[in-house]
Amino acid sequence: MSTGEEKERIELLQGTLDLLILRTLLLGPAHGHAITKAIEFRSDEVLQVEQGSLYPALHRLIKRGWISVEEGTSENNRRAKFYRLTAKGRKQLAAETSKWEKFSGAIARILRPTEERE
Amino acid sequence: MKRRGKRLLSDLDQEIREHIELATQENIERGMTAEQARYAALRKFGNVTRVKEDAREVWTKVWLEQLGQDIRFGLRQLRKSPGFTAIAILTLALGVGANAAIFSLVNTVLLQHLPMRASNRLVVIWISNLKNGWSRIGPAGQDYLDWKDQAQCFEDLFLFEHGTGTVTGGGEPEQVAGLRVTTNFAEFFGVRPLLGRYFRLDETSARHNLVVLSYAYWQRRYASSPAVLGQSMTLNGEVYTIIGVLPSDLATVFPVDVVVPFDNDWLKRADSDLGVFGRLRANVTLEQASSEMSVLMGRIARQRPDRKDYGGVLVPLESARVEYIRPALLLLLVAVGCLLLIACANVGNLLVSRAVGRRREIAARIALGAGLGRLTRQFLIESALLALAGGASGLLLALWTTYVLARFIPTRIPVPNAADYVSLPSIHISAPVLVFILLISLLTGLLFGLLPVFQTLRFDVNEVLKEAGRGSSSGPRGNRTRATLVIVESALAVVLVIGAGLMVQSFSRLLQSNPGFNSNHLLTLRIKLANDAKDSPYKEPRRQAAAFQRFLTAVQAVAGVQSAAFTEIVPLSQDDMDMAQFVIQEEPPAPRSQHLASDFRDVTPDFFHTMEIPLLHGRVFTEHDNLDSPRVVLIDETFAQRFFHDQNPLGKHVQISDSTRPPREIVGIVGAVLDTGLDQRPRPTIYLPSLQSPDQTMSLVVRTALPPSSILPAIKNAIWSVDRDQPIFNVRPMDEIISSITSAQRVAFLTLDVFAFLALALAAVGIYGVTSYAVGQRIHEIGVRMALGAQRSDILRLVIFQGMKLASVGVVIGLLASLLLTHLMTGLLFGVNATDPLTFAAVAFLLVWVALVACHIPARRALRVDPMVILRYE
Repeated sequence: MSTGEEKERIELLQGTLDLLILRTLLLGPAHGHAITKAIEFRSDEVLQVEQGSLYPALHRLIKRGWISVEEGTSENNRRAKFYRLTAKGRKQLAAETSKWEKFSGAIARILRPTEERE
Repeated sequence: MKRRGKRLLSDLDQEIREHIELATQENIERGMTAEQARYAALRKFGNVTRVKEDAREVWTKVWLEQLGQDIRFGLRQLRKSPGFTAIAILTLALGVGANAAIFSLVNTVLLQHLPMRASNRLVVIWISNLKNGWSRIGPAGQDYLDWKDQAQCFEDLFLFEHGTGTVTGGGEPEQVAGLRVTTNFAEFFGVRPLLGRYFRLDETSARHNLVVLSYAYWQRRYASSPAVLGQSMTLNGEVYTIIGVLPSDLATVFPVDVVVPFDNDWLKRADSDLGVFGRLRANVTLEQASSEMSVLMGRIARQRPDRKDYGGVLVPLESARVEYIRPALLLLLVAVGCLLLIACANVGNLLVSRAVGRRREIAARIALGAGLGRLTRQFLIESALLALAGGASGLLLALWTTYVLARFIPTRIPVPNAADYVSLPSIHISAPVLVFILLISLLTGLLFGLLPVFQTLRFDVNEVLKEAGRGSSSGPRGNRTRATLVIVESALAVVLVIGAGLMVQSFSRLLQSNPGFNSNHLLTLRIKLANDAKDSPYKEPRRQAAAFQRFLTAVQAVAGVQSAAFTEIVPLSQDDMDMAQFVIQEEPPAPRSQHLASDFRDVTPDFFHTMEIPLLHGRVFTEHDNLDSPRVVLIDETFAQRFFHDQNPLGKHVQISDSTRPPREIVGIVGAVLDTGLDQRPRPTIYLPSLQSPDQTMSLVVRTALPPSSILPAIKNAIWSVDRDQPIFNVRPMDEIISSITSAQRVAFLTLDVFAFLALALAAVGIYGVTSYAVGQRIHEIGVRMALGAQRSDILRLVIFQGMKLASVGVVIGLLASLLLTHLMTGLLFGVNATDPLTFAAVAFLLVWVALVACHIPARRALRVDPMVILRYE
């Protein structure tokens, strides 16, 4: 969050990074940098992935068996690690997504009435 | 760590490089220079090491790895400042060691269960007659039989009687401690014999002549031979068959040599001083049982008029045993807890000071990305290392202390108001004590380890780093923490020293209290005539009296014996009690007179001279006061005051038990004697001439100019010259008797003194530490003040005032806390009030003085400051 010229950016809520990684990998396997890019791009650069937490998060997801890792080649023809969603991860994504929707819906309902009164 | 994780982690470096590479390229595409692009990518990625560590944490029990690092780091830190480490460990060792020693004492004495089935449901049953002032006396055989018939709240009742027997045949005659028991012994306690068997329920007749040996006696007399079963031994002239051996741990309940069964007929005739234990039913409380017992005693009194006004007293066996020593031990536990807190405060103080000194190191680590959690852990680990080292040294100290304590803790302690003793198990460091040491070490580590964490981790990193090399002030928070600690420890020290001060006064007053006789150079021993034996020469009362007379004559002839006498009970000895009701013949038999009760003593004429009990009026007994002459008695002054008020008792007559007995004329009044304890009041006592009231067992009291132990062999030989089969037992100098009945106070007194001294020393060190640290911090300020013309006395006042302020607040708090706490020790105090103003004032003064000395040393150092050096340094 260094410069003012960039858009207003929001740091990720605790725990949501896992969800976003899973959702990104639903589109297909990707390497670390690509995942960051995708999240930032798809959120119109609003969400800022703290890159320091990306790799620990990936490792965590592998350990839980929600994603797997395979060797691949990156854009600039280098060897790279590609992360792929597993079946288990797909189920987890569905569960997490509906949980998130419930959560954001609830937050929205709480915030709405004040707006209506105005 | 899993293999998969290992591979991922080893590739992580490469992966991160790749990531940054890609980001850099993108930045270049956005139009940055190569250098800018790389820098931006790196900045965006963040702390690479941290990322790697976080990823590692996913796969490993990383705390375990870091723990190892932290421990190594902690050890290095402690080695770096050996002075600090040594002082901290020593302080903790004192605290932990003292606690462990006292805990092992408490654990052995108060917390261990007796080695018996359902030992927590066993109760001792006494009877009482409060109108006569008898709070606990042993019941009669008939009481036991009535209870056994009628009481509902007990599963079972057990009856026993302590006694002594003479073992003859095969070596010297020996007086053994015997126990007569009902035959439900084995079933009642649920203990197995070590060897052989116990009595069967129907082996109640004396004809069987069966005996069970105690473990100690079996070891001593039979060298632990298993062949002992079936052998015979001669006890009181009769031949008994040995059928079993008791397990060794039963000795803490019954410290006897031999156990024989009660004869059923004999049981009905036994009229007092028996011991009865009951085992409560599982769902019956002590209160229920007690109330049933009082109803029952009322019913029994209607059938047996001699039990009128009697009640039953139920006390759990386990607590009755330790009743005497418990208050002393609990007091020590509180005291030693205070000591530990002081030790903690001191070490906490040291750590806080050190943490302030390490602020720059810590700030640097925070700036380099150390997490708060990790730093906290680091601090805790350092303090835990200290605590464990302190605990280990404390264990050594505790081993030594228990060894010393074991010499002061008596093995036999009195049972209050019951003329009885119980034996205590020997104390030792056991597994629970080790666990206790570990726990309190870690707990203290946690306690003082958190202090510096709270107070150092809240500073502003930038501020600290900017201060650079300047010897900076530590900031208000550090000072406040340290100030609080000093106040707390001075307050605790005041409490401990006041407790010790009270104990010192109490104990010296106890020892100085006049027992009514001269206790110096007195030897006592007990003799029991063997008139239980079939062919005993002492069956007839006259012959008993004559036998004691012959022993006395022989003993009086021994060189070094100044005088000697026999008495039924030695004052203060708790050997026995003899109490009865009486009527005064000259008074009308008013209903009230039924409740006149007094202690009774049969003594030989020289008793008063030997004990140096003063004769106040009339005369003492002579050798002519025998069975052929008119019955006479002496009374003590307590008796005279209580029952005769301002009348002259001389010439009046008392009838012991009731008015049908022969009247005995009061011929003299002697001084009062403390019979039951130095802290007790004298009880009304009637003395009878033993020639008119012969006994089977009497105690010899000998006054000698020589040390009692050196004259003992000659006295024994004198007795044996009269009857070479006469056993002699309970040989004790009066000093030993007095030290036994004051043992609880003695233990509390000695131990509390040591604790108080340690507390005072630790508090002084604490005050010294804080003051000298403050001087170190203000050295610059002091230099400036001196340069500006401040006098030496001003500087001295400045420094001392700072330390004394804290100490004074501590003293005031300590005095207030003592007001609340010292009443806990009221039961142990004698002749001094728990809030004795003199003690309080003296201790306050002492502590202020100690604090002054502790402040004065650093203050002197402040005076040596050379202002020029300080200013130039600036």
